[in-house]
Amino acid sequence: MRITYCAECGYEPQTLALASALMTAFGGRLSAIELVPWLDGTFDVSVNGDLVHSMTRDGGFPEAASVVAAVRARL
Amino acid sequence: MVVDAAYFAQGITYEAFKASMTRNREQLEANERAVALDSADVAAFRALRRPLHVVAIAEDWCGDVVANLPVLARLAEASGKLDLRVFDKSKHPELIARYKKEGTFESIPVFVFFDEAFREVGVWIERPASVTARRAERRVAIYASDPAFGSPDAPPADLPDEVRARLLAALVTMRADLKPWADREVTRELRELVQRAVAA
Repeated sequence: MRITYCAECGYEPQTLALASALMTAFGGRLSAIELVPWLDGTFDVSVNGDLVHSMTRDGGFPEAASVVAAVRARL
Repeated sequence: MVVDAAYFAQGITYEAFKASMTRNREQLEANERAVALDSADVAAFRALRRPLHVVAIAEDWCGDVVANLPVLARLAEASGKLDLRVFDKSKHPELIARYKKEGTFESIPVFVFFDEAFREVGVWIERPASVTARRAERRVAIYASDPAFGSPDAPPADLPDEVRARLLAALVTMRADLKPWADREVTRELRELVQRAVAA
């Protein structure tokens, strides 16, 4: 799992909330949750390199449930 | 919600805002020191017949606030004609709801200018469009400068860590290089906004 977030946009709470939801949902079944600080209003979520949410592409923040479902589909 | 004298008094001074910051204060103060005001710009604000009240909607995490609020504060200090009060966006949802960018985005900072009777005379949001455009041009050039950076449209997280760190450093340097010009653009827009407002 990788969450790329805009560090100058104050997206830390959403990043941590999503990471927390993933940790709670999957425990040790995820090899890693990587948090990547970036710029430009970014909030991208990828699973095994597949982009499952992009703020630029999809608009807004993802629902945690939809990201959990995307991960579950890949397990 | 009406911005009147009572509402305006709920805001805090720029100095109080700085004292309240939990992050980025050093950068904001460095930006404040680096603002180089043109004497003609200061004179234009000093020429205002009456001071304007200015509501600034801000939060300390926001890069555009850290970059642009000090420009307004320096203009206020140098001219003596801008009565500035800062409102924390999260504590004043009613305020940001009224001043969304394009009616949709809660972009900050927002600077709202009011005359002595609290009639709204102008609104400025986030950053100049010219700054956004030039950053975008430079960003494309940075990506083009090194094939390892890949496409500007590709997720940066796909890049190897070393390449991503190098790209991030290049982007941060680009923004720093543009900062003096960006400050002048902010000043120019604020000056034009105020001059239009008082001429109307």
